[in-house]
Amino acid sequence: MKMANSLRGEVLNLYKNLLYLGREYPKGADYFKRRLRNVFLKNKDVKDPEKIKELIRRGEFVMKELEALYFLRKYRAMKQRYYSDINKTN
Amino acid sequence: MKRIPMLAEAAPFSTVFCAPWGARQGPKLRTRSRPWCSQGVPGQVPQLCCQYSKYSDALSLTLEGIKELVLYVLKHYDEIDRKKLSVNSHFMKGLGLDSLDQVESIMAMEDEFGFEITDIDTEKLMCPQEIVDYIVNKKDVYQ
Repeated sequence: MKMANSLRGEVLNLYKNLLYLGREYPKGADYFKRRLRNVFLKNKDVKDPEKIKELIRRGEFVMKELEALYFLRKYRAMKQRYYSDINKTN
Repeated sequence: MKRIPMLAEAAPFSTVFCAPWGARQGPKLRTRSRPWCSQGVPGQVPQLCCQYSKYSDALSLTLEGIKELVLYVLKHYDEIDRKKLSVNSHFMKGLGLDSLDQVESIMAMEDEFGFEITDIDTEKLMCPQEIVDYIVNKKDVYQ
């Protein structure tokens, strides 16, 4: 437990950051929160530090994916606004 | 040169800013600004709503006000049993929250009071009284 204390902080921090990102999620913040919570609870019994680190890395990857998703959504919305009829085939 | 009376200029603004207070507390805006709060708003603490703490620097927070606001926020957090909630109840031992719930309630505080609580401090805040003390220190409230 003591050894994993710094990792515990990291995990909670990851949860917080993901929760912030999830507020904009297309399917709704509540949906995102439920899923996120389930995923975290599913792995709550993981004790091995290496395994925890790997899971944290996966969480960070998901964060990047979310950022990319939002960026893409914004880009699409802007493109639709400016090129509504010309680029329909693209 | 004749100037338009200031009151006439200010009038439209004042109606915009003052009149819709009642409307602003409508359920639609409430749920959007408080995604963690799924229940209806009873409206028992009308002057303590989050719009004030966010937009009005002039509003001076008092010890009592902060305490009330913290409890108000926690009361509307779904996981917490309202009957068990008191100023000194421990989040995990007394209220049966897990660490994820605790992080969420601290995030709700951040939203409410409009400043960020660091990760290290987040872990330390384990009961409403500690949150109140922390905010009091951060906001330099003395009475």
